Amino acid sequence: MRIRILVLSTLLALSGAASALTPDDVKSALAAEVKATDPAFKDFSAQRGNVFFHARHGGEWSCATCHTELPAASGQHTVTKKPIRPLAPAANAERFTNQDKVDKWFKRNCNDVAKRACTAREKGDLLAYLMSVKP
Amino acid sequence: METTAMNSQSTPAGGKPTHIRILVWDVPVRVFHWALAGSFITAFVTAESEAFRNVHVVSGYLMLALIVFRVVWGFVGTRHARFSDFVRGPGAVVNYVRSLINGNPEHHVGHNPAGALAIILLLLLGVGTVASGWMSFNEIGGDALGELHEGIATTMLAVVVVHVLGVIVSSFLHRENLLRSMLTGYKDGPREDGIGHRRGIIAIALVAVLGWFGWGLTQGQFPGLLDANAAAQQAHHGESGEHDDED
Repeated sequence: MRIRILVLSTLLALSGAASALTPDDVKSALAAEVKATDPAFKDFSAQRGNVFFHARHGGEWSCATCHTELPAASGQHTVTKKPIRPLAPAANAERFTNQDKVDKWFKRNCNDVAKRACTAREKGDLLAYLMSVKP
Repeated sequence: METTAMNSQSTPAGGKPTHIRILVWDVPVRVFHWALAGSFITAFVTAESEAFRNVHVVSGYLMLALIVFRVVWGFVGTRHARFSDFVRGPGAVVNYVRSLINGNPEHHVGHNPAGALAIILLLLLGVGTVASGWMSFNEIGGDALGELHEGIATTMLAVVVVHVLGVIVSSFLHRENLLRSMLTGYKDGPREDGIGHRRGIIAIALVAVLGWFGWGLTQGQFPGLLDANAAAQQAHHGESGEHDDED
């Protein structure tokens, strides 16, 4: 029992280390990144994010291939067929609350979909779109 | 006794023991070595893309199967394949590395103590990588397990790099091509240090079993390990909404 508590608290500490964020915090950080190179930048566009999410960008897949056309719904890995929990924060409160995970999965998935890293503006637009999606 | 010693250590004009070309590594040891290297590299280069997720998982299972074989072979294999032939304490490793630095390297026909340490570490890290990868793939342990998987795999890569550098350094210092001997099985050494059997049949059986296993995995023959079709049907019937995959 004591060991179990120890293991659980260790896991919590590990997973909670960077999870005090909200999706808004993540979006603000991206906005700051864009502003650094473009002082005229005002705000991200959910509309542009919507277009980006459903379009293909040089690869075989779009974001929607796995996360489905409706990001508030459960997705499915197109290769392993494993289920993927909803991407929209309104449908899944864990999304975009951990900067390390956000960075890791943008890196992996942008490479698969766009065959390159996404720009901060693209990520911000995507996040704005995902935050606008209601279940 | 005296005669045997004379035969093995007979010193002709040069003052060195008579060295002939002897077989040291049986075929299963060599097939294991290169198949493990291949599956590790495959798993590593397919880790970053979802497109190769099944290839990544299959190479992980093959790694584990290879390691299981190697552990068994470490007890029943030919002389230099056995753990009892090369597993030594930390003192032996320190002495060996020191002998390399001093420019007067200890010679070992089988695995040298540093190589032996690499083998043990790689076997353990290999099992750890596959176990943590399997848990991540099956959504056990959450993000922490995923991080652990990457950490162990990176550590394993570091040991591989040290191992490769060690082979290069030792090859130069011993004036002995260790890379070639892991390909051909032969080294130069005293006759009685050689092994008598190649155990080629065992290697063929190993390759056949691994081939059957790997092919079966890609064809969905082992649904508990990797089964795209069953998962698809499950999702289609809406029975799997509670699972957690983080991408």
